Amino acid sequence: MSVTSFRLPPLALSRRHALIGGAAASLLLPSLARAQTRLQITEGNVAPLPIAIPNFVAGTPADGEVGVGVSQVITNNLKRSGLFAPIDQAAFIEKISNIDAAPQFQSWKTINAQALVTGRMTRQPDGRLKAEFRLWDVAAGQQLTGQQYFTSPEYWRRIAHIISDQIYERLTGEKGYFDSRVVFVDETGSKERRVKRLALMDQDGANVRYLTRGADLVLTPRFSPSTQEITYMEFGQGDPRVYLFNVETGQREIVGNFPGMSFSPRFSPDGQRVIMSLQQGGNSNLFVMDLRSKSTTRLTDTPAIDTSPSYAPDGSRLCFESDRGGKPQIYVMPASGGPAQRISFGEGSYSTPVWSPRGDYIAFTKQGGGQFSIGIMKTDGSGERLLTSGFHNEGPTFAPNGRVLMFFRDPGGNGGPSLFTVDISGRNEQRVPTPGFASDPAWSPLLS
Amino acid sequence: MNLKVDKNLAASITLHVLVIGWGLVSFSARSLEAPPPESMPVDIISADQLSKLTAGAKTGEKDKPKPLVEKVADARPVDDTVGKITEKPPVETAVAPTPPPKPVEKPVEKKPDPPKPVAENKPKDEPKPIEKKPDPPKVDPIAEALKTDDSKKQPPKPEAKAAPQQPPKPKQERTFDQSKIAALLDKRDPTRQAATGAQLNSQASLGAAKGNAATLSQSELDALRARLTKLWNVQAGTERPEELIVDIRIRLTPDRRLAAPPEIVSQGSSPRYQAAADAAMRAVLQGQPFDMLQSATYEQWKDMIVTFDPRQMFHS
Repeated sequence: MSVTSFRLPPLALSRRHALIGGAAASLLLPSLARAQTRLQITEGNVAPLPIAIPNFVAGTPADGEVGVGVSQVITNNLKRSGLFAPIDQAAFIEKISNIDAAPQFQSWKTINAQALVTGRMTRQPDGRLKAEFRLWDVAAGQQLTGQQYFTSPEYWRRIAHIISDQIYERLTGEKGYFDSRVVFVDETGSKERRVKRLALMDQDGANVRYLTRGADLVLTPRFSPSTQEITYMEFGQGDPRVYLFNVETGQREIVGNFPGMSFSPRFSPDGQRVIMSLQQGGNSNLFVMDLRSKSTTRLTDTPAIDTSPSYAPDGSRLCFESDRGGKPQIYVMPASGGPAQRISFGEGSYSTPVWSPRGDYIAFTKQGGGQFSIGIMKTDGSGERLLTSGFHNEGPTFAPNGRVLMFFRDPGGNGGPSLFTVDISGRNEQRVPTPGFASDPAWSPLLS
Repeated sequence: MNLKVDKNLAASITLHVLVIGWGLVSFSARSLEAPPPESMPVDIISADQLSKLTAGAKTGEKDKPKPLVEKVADARPVDDTVGKITEKPPVETAVAPTPPPKPVEKPVEKKPDPPKPVAENKPKDEPKPIEKKPDPPKVDPIAEALKTDDSKKQPPKPEAKAAPQQPPKPKQERTFDQSKIAALLDKRDPTRQAATGAQLNSQASLGAAKGNAATLSQSELDALRARLTKLWNVQAGTERPEELIVDIRIRLTPDRRLAAPPEIVSQGSSPRYQAAADAAMRAVLQGQPFDMLQSATYEQWKDMIVTFDPRQMFHS
């Protein structure tokens, strides 16, 4: 390009200059900014989160005991979940006396707490109990969440469970499962004369109450999504029947009078229908009964044993166990009936399928090679994973957040079965304390 | 006359924009990606030895000097932030040895000065082997010669332009003489020779051939990574880890502490993401002070983005 010198009206040139210079300079600006260092962290420390839960402060002198009780229930819940490591209270440096003031974070950092829970219980003049709590992030020096609740004094354990759920949700991002109950079959007596009663308890084993007297054999209790009703099977006079039991009123009614035997009842997600398997002759098929109208619909019609149905949480499909292919396998079918698709293809036989409340997994009992295993698979049958094996594990039920499974294990011999929980990743198997032997657990939805 | 000028002007503008655009693409700085830690033959030396080795100190041993190169020999013209300078034949390398400082007009007129914007745009704090001497007596003869020239000293230059040493430029209106403008802009000693070489190197260094003086050493990065790994608490059995990738921007003071609360720069709204972001924040907050970082490399670690990515830990 040839170099020429030329004259221009000074004003125009300088403006143009400024514009172009500005444009060019601003174009170059990004490249002049210093490039930012980036660092990738792809591994972390897989460990339960250290959390400090001092005793809840007593708002009035009489509340000391309930303050200690609440913090113990919370500590126990969080520890049993396997995701938290509560720090021993003996190690605490600061004594919390006023939860409305910020704690001395440095003293909690010293004992390596990453989260701190402070709370206060205060008996109100009208007799109610007020519970307040705050969850603190020790490293950031900030409150993460805080709530207050009013309740009758005898429900202090429920408050502790609700607070546990809040802490769990805030720190893990998953919904909690502590404020829930479990219905199970309580077994007492010798092996030959086992007395089986329906029992209800909090998910941590507290507040056990018996719902039947044990005169008749009861099996497979299941919760309604509304949590006030339980459906179960009882071997009364003659054939086994499906019953509805109202927890609040204590009344029970027969779901329906069906010829033949009825087995493994379950509620639909909306609580309006009960699905069960009815045995006629040598085979059993699935039937749905509407609780209001008492009308029944047949869903399967095969010369095979179709049993143990379980609805998906959105009510559109259900899974069940069928031996139409030879050995018992798991099938998925539309809720209104129709062609069933087999989803289990491993070695052995699959039974007692249960659909997770999150809708992403189906848990089952797998039998093969002399072992009983509890496993989960995705709803299309892929990703099968066995969580625990032994003789004899059976009857999985999901916690309300779909992250924990409860099942029962019978070691055989003269002992009896007990309830266990395990995380769906296979970790953290814990025994659930029950007054006697226990089997056939069913987990309720969250009570709150 | 006006029309002719406009065409030239338009052509000039177009070519400038093209050139600048190309320059942006080829000269833009890449973000410093911390290289993944992979196995490599190891020589055990301490971290500060390593930093010293690549520090490029002025008084270091002249192992393999990598001189300042402001102009690529035989290369295409270099960017010019000042804008309206028309292209000059760039081929001219440094020619005459030091002409005497007084008769300034001659070198100004005959020798097209090497372009200086590359040097101007460097950040301030790099060692320059050649000092800039603002030389007031010289400016005046130039000023006289250029008194009819147009002034272009108010380009909106970016602040990063290392210009503090330059004396304030004359702001009078002048008729435009582009050959003299170049000299006017160059406030360094006109006897300076342009440094040329095969590859543009805006940073002279005496030391290793790579001459990337103040970069974070591998050992520093690894130590920082190790600390954050230890502090980053991850839940066992995390599902769908691809939703839980958290980017945190941290700014550090020279004390290696956080200058401001760390900023989460990734997006996410689910409670799980929130919990994951909290855990990453906790790791960063607890990691203070980051005493594995060297003061010499402060520019590199004062502003970082740390990505916490749990995918490798949870293959499903």
